[in-house]
Amino acid sequence: MTELVKRKLEARPAPEPDPGDPFAAFREVEILDMQMAFGFRHSLGKLSRFFLALEERKLLGTVCPTCGKVWLPPRPVCPDDLAVTEWRELAQRGRLAVGSLSAYSLKTAGGDRQLMLGYVEVEGASTLILQQIRNLGAHALEPGLPLKIVWSEEAVEHPMELFWFEPA
Amino acid sequence: MPDPDIVLLGGGISRFARERADGTPVDWMTEATRDALADAGVDHGDLDMSVVSYESEILARQVTMGQVVQDALGLCPKPSVRVEAGGGTAGAALRTAFAYLKGGLAGSVLVVGAEAVGRLVSSATVREVYALSGDVEFEMAAGGFFMAYYALMMKEHMRLYGTTEEQMALVSVKNHRNALSNPMAAMPMSITVQDVLESPPVVAPYKRLDCSVLADGAAAVILATADWAAAHASAWRDKPRVFMTGSGCGTERVRLGDRPRPDPGFAHMRAKREAARKAYAMAGIEDPRAEIDLAEVADAYTGAELQSIEALGFCAPGESGPLLEQGVFDLGGALPVNTSGGLLGMGGPPGAIGLAQAIEVLRQLRGECPAERRVPGARRGLTDIHGGTASYAVVSIFDRRD
Repeated sequence: MTELVKRKLEARPAPEPDPGDPFAAFREVEILDMQMAFGFRHSLGKLSRFFLALEERKLLGTVCPTCGKVWLPPRPVCPDDLAVTEWRELAQRGRLAVGSLSAYSLKTAGGDRQLMLGYVEVEGASTLILQQIRNLGAHALEPGLPLKIVWSEEAVEHPMELFWFEPA
Repeated sequence: MPDPDIVLLGGGISRFARERADGTPVDWMTEATRDALADAGVDHGDLDMSVVSYESEILARQVTMGQVVQDALGLCPKPSVRVEAGGGTAGAALRTAFAYLKGGLAGSVLVVGAEAVGRLVSSATVREVYALSGDVEFEMAAGGFFMAYYALMMKEHMRLYGTTEEQMALVSVKNHRNALSNPMAAMPMSITVQDVLESPPVVAPYKRLDCSVLADGAAAVILATADWAAAHASAWRDKPRVFMTGSGCGTERVRLGDRPRPDPGFAHMRAKREAARKAYAMAGIEDPRAEIDLAEVADAYTGAELQSIEALGFCAPGESGPLLEQGVFDLGGALPVNTSGGLLGMGGPPGAIGLAQAIEVLRQLRGECPAERRVPGARRGLTDIHGGTASYAVVSIFDRRD
């Protein structure tokens, strides 16, 4: 017999009533398959230059003209003194501050693929940037490990996937 | 300025579980509210307003849930406000109600919260939506997600202080065990350190049993001024009186890598330290470890409980692991932590867990908890909950006064 309700996933009869249950008459359950899917025209806004520069294999931070702090990831406004920052190209090397191996990744990063993530202190930056660490080889994922940026030879989905770090 | 005393009159929990197919979040909030009103001995028609607590309308498939629950509870046309602060949502809701009462805008407030994060949607989708509550442009795009951020925090804690995976596993053993006598808990378990260490790896150093589970559920409390309570609540006459005597909130930079190093760096929770400092000042607490009898502490991950214990000033940074091994934070210890089971033992619906913590403290201070998890003679309790990577923290203090 054809289901009258196409979205019905499951119907559960009420269990044996529990004498103390005030909702005993409300225990039947019907479960529907409801979908919600939508995309975004997502603007990268004032950060766009950072992401466009990655396509030219350049790593940009921003420097605060007041306090001299170099933000990577960049910020258009230094939160320490609310001054508008200036772009600065940074070296493509640094050191691992802390890293870890994940058995999972988000669906947007390949689902159940293993992933090494680390915060990297890029030379000349005052803050740390989170990025994937790949091709560790015989190196240990330990703080202080010298790292270099490696650029993707292939087209990627999101500009942050254009680079990762490997042992220098 | 009047400065009314604020009393926690009653609480109710709608069971936390991996899947609640037996209703919508609004249904669970209604159940929790009925129980809270019965506990407080309050008629819902007498309530002045509601504060509604939930993190994600998308996961619940219901936007403006506050208005829907207001209608379901027969509270129209009274005022209502919705509060959101990630994992700290319910703590922020509690604090919002406290502020309304202290400021004289209400004499009584229903604080009610829920979250639908169990199996209504897949756990992969929940991880994806939760990742949106961190840095979206850089970190999420690089593959970052919350379990990984928390793991990186503990890698640094281990490096700085020698904290061990065994110590983290002990948190899991303790909290799952405490949940055994809590019928509202999703994850009561009798497990060993070995079970935790041998559970499947998630993000090093965390294994599956180091992590709290996504759970559905709801909780509600009634807060009121003492004057209002005396006029409207039978609990004021019939039950031991528990007052909310301190509230503090703190914030932190969203990205771990932007935080000043070495302090707070990765290992320390500055927002929580700030929230605790303010709450202690308000409640007149100088030595929290000596002056607090029990604490419900944010333990979405085992290491986060250790970091929180330190940020709350129960010990110096790095000392929480050894003290845990000595049993200080066990039932029967000097300062029992997460007697309810915490997020690890109960499950952690963000809109509800901070209220469930307050209800555990209420039950403990009234002496109503079952003997297995009772803290005898407890007079003062603390709740601590946070959102993000402790980028938003709320600490509340409760005192029994006879």
